[in-house]
Amino acid sequence: MFVLLAVIFLLHLACIALLLAATIQNAWWMTDTMSTDIWARWTLIGGQWNYTALPGFYPKEYLQAVQASSILACIFCILGLFVFVAQLYTLPRGKRFLFSAAFQLLAWICIMIAASIYTDIFHRQEQQGWYGSSFILAWISVCLTFISCVIYFTLRKKTA
Amino acid sequence: MLSVLALTSVVLLGIASQSTALVVNTDSEKHALVGSDVRLSCSFFSWQWTSPEVSFTWHYRPDGAKDAISIFHYGGGEAYPANKGPFQNRLEFVGNPSRRDGSILIKNLDFGDNGTFTCDAKNPPDIGGHPSTIRLLVFEKVPVQAGVITGSIIGVVLGLLILVVAIYYLMRFLVARRVFSLSMSKHGKKGKGKEGSQQKQRI
Repeated sequence: MFVLLAVIFLLHLACIALLLAATIQNAWWMTDTMSTDIWARWTLIGGQWNYTALPGFYPKEYLQAVQASSILACIFCILGLFVFVAQLYTLPRGKRFLFSAAFQLLAWICIMIAASIYTDIFHRQEQQGWYGSSFILAWISVCLTFISCVIYFTLRKKTA
Repeated sequence: MLSVLALTSVVLLGIASQSTALVVNTDSEKHALVGSDVRLSCSFFSWQWTSPEVSFTWHYRPDGAKDAISIFHYGGGEAYPANKGPFQNRLEFVGNPSRRDGSILIKNLDFGDNGTFTCDAKNPPDIGGHPSTIRLLVFEKVPVQAGVITGSIIGVVLGLLILVVAIYYLMRFLVARRVFSLSMSKHGKKGKGKEGSQQKQRI
């Protein structure tokens, strides 16, 4: 029983860590001389990495939507962790962790929105370059938050 | 004893009034739409009383130019906008010198008005100090500041969430207090509105 609880808790922590890494770390799209994320861009100029702003042709509304929904996903996942711990203590026996599941569901929706918009709108024309680690982490956290959400929906508090 | 105290305070005041010069305050950057009016505000801080000889001078350096030209001077109680130059007939003094405000109003902006404005204030005998500069940026339409859409999306979603949670708990509270009646309550009892019995419901 305790092992199951620890696994679920660790899964939730992993979701949070991946979401934060995807949002903050700057490796959504990379080339040999450039590394971009949803906030700014690192460009290799003359042997030195410079922190520059994102190019002006990026569609601004979509970019800010991606920023907003990835931040919201992080917020909901972190809040979900606290809600889960609170529900562990206050939920009556035999009931489901619906509140925590709701938060994880919202986090899943938000990060899916962010990753989908980014995949569909940005970098369609650029031939050289590849998706970086943060992008992959974003999609992995889509799967993990979904799994976590399903677990919380089906988990019941142990009856005495 | 008292004389020593008086002497120290006079010396300190003398040092203080000489060590802090006049400080001119302006915005660092100003954004405006083409065709609109913009107010460039300038005020100063000085340890001396506001003198009747207080003066304000505005200079303008266009973007890409090396030299600044004088466009406005206020002194001896009178305002003197430059009668030649790019701001001819477009400049108005809207400041209040007795309140240490030397702001000017530039009307009907054009893209050629992009540049750096410098405000220099003098309050005799306090005349030392750095002038302060404002950068004027003229836009065709006001650009969305970075992060406005992001912040508003986050704020709206979180606000809606808090609203939904609050309404949920409010409804639960009101149902428990028998203010509302449910047609199908959990334990098969029908609540009858305000004339509820004293039975407690197991939540």
